[in-house]
Amino acid sequence: MVVNSSQRRMSITAMAVVLSAIASFSFGSSTRVAVALSAFLTLLATGAAIFTTPGLRSSHPVVVRAALTITTVDVVLFATYFFPANTNTNLATGAAMSIVLLGLSFLTGASGQISLGNGAFMGVGAFAMAIWANHHATSPIVVGLLVAIVSGALVGLLLGLPATRLRGPYLAGMTLAFAVAFAAILSSFNSWTGGDSGLQLPTAATPPHWLLGFFDSGTSLLTTNSMWLADIAIVVTGVAFFFMANLFASRTGRAMRLIRDNDVAAELVGVSLPRGRVVAFVVSSAYAALGGALSTLIDNAVSPSTYSFALSITILSLIVIGGIGTIPGALIGGIVYAYSNSVITWITNQTGLNPQGNLASQLNGIIFGGLLIVTMLFAPLGISGTARHLWRTRRRRTPR
Amino acid sequence: MDPFLTSRIMTDLLGGLTNGVVYGLVALSLVLVWRSTGILNFAQGAMPMVATYLGMGLLSYNLSYWPCVAVAIVAGFTIGGITERVLVRGLYGKPEINPIVVMVGFLIVLEAVAAAVWSTKPRGLPSPFSAIDWQIGGKPFGLSDFSVFEILTAIGVMAVIAALFRFTKLGLQLRASAIAPEVSRLLGVRVGRMLTLGWMLSTAVGTITTILVASNYFTGLTPQVMDGVFAFGFIAAAVGGLDSPVGSIVAGVSIGIILQFVGDYLNSNDIILTALLILVVSLMVRPNGLFTRSSARRV
Amino acid sequence: MITIENLTVSFGAVQALRDVTMQVETGKITAVLGANGAGKTTLLRTISGLKEPVQGSILLDGRPLVRERPENIARMGVGHVPEGRGVIGEFTVEENLRLGAMITKAPLNEGLDEQYRQFPVLGERRKQHAAKLSGGERQMLAMARALIARPTVLLLDEPSLGLAPIVTAQLMHTIHDLCSSRNLTVILVEQNASSALRIADHAVVLHLGTVVANDAASTVAADEKLRQYYLGMVE
Ligand SMILES: Nc1ncnc2c1ncn2[C@@H]1O[C@H](COP(=O)(O)OP(=O)(O)OP(=O)(O)O)[C@@H](O)[C@H]1O
Ligand SMILES: [Mg+2]
Repeated sequence: MVVNSSQRRMSITAMAVVLSAIASFSFGSSTRVAVALSAFLTLLATGAAIFTTPGLRSSHPVVVRAALTITTVDVVLFATYFFPANTNTNLATGAAMSIVLLGLSFLTGASGQISLGNGAFMGVGAFAMAIWANHHATSPIVVGLLVAIVSGALVGLLLGLPATRLRGPYLAGMTLAFAVAFAAILSSFNSWTGGDSGLQLPTAATPPHWLLGFFDSGTSLLTTNSMWLADIAIVVTGVAFFFMANLFASRTGRAMRLIRDNDVAAELVGVSLPRGRVVAFVVSSAYAALGGALSTLIDNAVSPSTYSFALSITILSLIVIGGIGTIPGALIGGIVYAYSNSVITWITNQTGLNPQGNLASQLNGIIFGGLLIVTMLFAPLGISGTARHLWRTRRRRTPR
Repeated sequence: MDPFLTSRIMTDLLGGLTNGVVYGLVALSLVLVWRSTGILNFAQGAMPMVATYLGMGLLSYNLSYWPCVAVAIVAGFTIGGITERVLVRGLYGKPEINPIVVMVGFLIVLEAVAAAVWSTKPRGLPSPFSAIDWQIGGKPFGLSDFSVFEILTAIGVMAVIAALFRFTKLGLQLRASAIAPEVSRLLGVRVGRMLTLGWMLSTAVGTITTILVASNYFTGLTPQVMDGVFAFGFIAAAVGGLDSPVGSIVAGVSIGIILQFVGDYLNSNDIILTALLILVVSLMVRPNGLFTRSSARRV
Repeated sequence: MITIENLTVSFGAVQALRDVTMQVETGKITAVLGANGAGKTTLLRTISGLKEPVQGSILLDGRPLVRERPENIARMGVGHVPEGRGVIGEFTVEENLRLGAMITKAPLNEGLDEQYRQFPVLGERRKQHAAKLSGGERQMLAMARALIARPTVLLLDEPSLGLAPIVTAQLMHTIHDLCSSRNLTVILVEQNASSALRIADHAVVLHLGTVVANDAASTVAADEKLRQYYLGMVE
């Protein structure tokens, strides 16, 4: 009997699942923990099996992407249980930001254009979420997130429609104007947006009872809540990345890259340039809004001062550093964001700067602005693009 | 006396004109760089801001006003030239987002460095002329000595730039380098120098603008003094046509006047909203700008 | 005199010129002939510094031109009328000429008058935008713009392109006159081999980047094989 490799893999997976279930039941302190542990291991094993099956990558790329997403999300969710509260908060913040970055990365990767206003689009989502929650206190979180996505897309359409018809810096300039105007826009709708003080969510997002059951009764609210928020952010991020990975690889995605690389060629094969650019911009605005909505959830409030022009610039810097036009670049940028404040505090301490001094307070701008310039001049592909480039050239050089 | 001269409409008109010439100057400086090098300089506000700090900072060393202005303008020329040589030179022919990102980075660095060196506290610049409105028949008329100075300076700068481009050998070479760099080089034009010169001129124009802004507005000189003005200037340049110096100036003045009325009759919040609306609508109607003949799709 | 030795020029993997060696005599017309893609334009662009060769040297009266900037080469007296003429359509006729005269010390008016005498059409249309000129008029403007700088060497890239036969004949006549009256050294790149050979002293035939013939114009014109294989002159 001939056993092919994929059948062998399947049986190994099945065995691993059964073994892990038995293991968790025998080691677990309670049924609840055992169920959770075996669910975790099952997902992990299945994902790993699918991901490593040869040939599947080219024949069913969507399945492989789904498996990769589920496995990664699974592992990170599991890890949040053990993380301290501040790590989970950083994780949630970084995840929300990486969604925003993903949208911007797609815009540039697909259309070769750039937005200087994604901080404001993030703000659109953040306020949409807060306003919705204040009017529909009992509606599930998912609905709020969807409302934010739609709001971001609509505003994106309004601004993108005129600007994306033009090549050149028009979109960049228009989005800059939007980012600068955003504070004024918020305050002219201050009966909705709460003016300068912003909005509070009516109820904080608290973990459901079944999840609380995993913790000792003495565990602090901070620990459980931050884990729950991180979990939400991670699941949403997983979904967002999954969709985007498929979009990058889809016919539309390829058509858009064609637009970026060569207008004429794209027009020859019948790709509508303006429509492609508008779609890319709308997707990027919607992603920014989703990231903003998550931030509102994480902070349990939204304040207009968060969504300043400076935030838009930070977003730009993060994706340029991470690798513009790439998917991993968005993740790298998210991580950098989550830890940037700690790093800057660290630098301030190490260099012995007066933390209240002028220089220390401007360190953020000097470092991020400097990184923007240096990256663009010397490694325009960012961390992820440069790493991939190095990896490929090395593989090509080493004889097989 | 004709009461119309002191009416609210007239006052707004003149106030708008005074602001508008400033937007026109910013737009003009953007157009100078765009036409010669195909780059929208997002640091167009920040570079002159640094030049202004350098020049006007000498006031505290007992240098008098006009020499300080001269130093600031020289600093503007220098900063523009160095920036083109060091930062921008390598960006020609690169994908269009590269220069955008680099210039945004430069904007951030300059503003942060300026804040670190000179702090974010506003510095009042002494004004060489009174900023108190003239009186006609006991009522304020919408102009002051300073605003007349501002308008005349703007007109003067525009006239000098126009004359330079129209009537001089240098202007001919500047224009040729912008339109047809390769042919110009075959004719012996030092195109590289012309590009540098374009940036120098643009930053010098920006410095004069910054000095006007920092002395006229009640804001004084701060690292971010040009942020808002830059946004309006960009809107003017986009509406008038990034390729069109005349168009961008006309658009700047018109936008200044419209926004003055909006601020007076509506609400100060609505100023930037209106500006954004003007930009959106005009790009919808005339994507290449109201005054551009050729297509703005320079690929 | 221009001395070119072992000149190799490539665009990535494509070698546009391979080991080209040739001499261009002062005060003579040297025709450079060859089919599309032979490397003629590349040769001129390399001489005027727009393209850097992979190897080889170009000397103008003993002075090396390789790695010199195009604007300096122009200032050394090399005028180049590029393929497609390179007239600046946004400029008026006179502005184009003024741009051409930038590098001479001679008074502008003298130069303008001289060119308007040589090409009277240009004088009539001096205030018009060059974009409005006909193909032949543009060619004259391009020539005039190069000549007003008083070059010692003139590189002409397919001046007859798109011109009626009679205009081409006139143009060739003008080139010949200029060459003898001013002692100009001319490199004349042409597809139209027969009209070029009629006025040229010397001819170089390029094929896929290499020199396949380098001889007196009359010899090349008489060579049946060259005419058939490389110049497409079958009568
Ligand atoms: N910018 C470029 N990039 C890549 N290859 C080029 C470039 N310019 C020319 N080539 C190649 O170099 C070779 C010679 O081109 P060149 O323009 O010199 O030919 P030519 O003799 O002038 O032809 P034609 O008579 O059509 O003008 C051709 O194979 C061409 O494809
Ligand atoms: Mg050719």
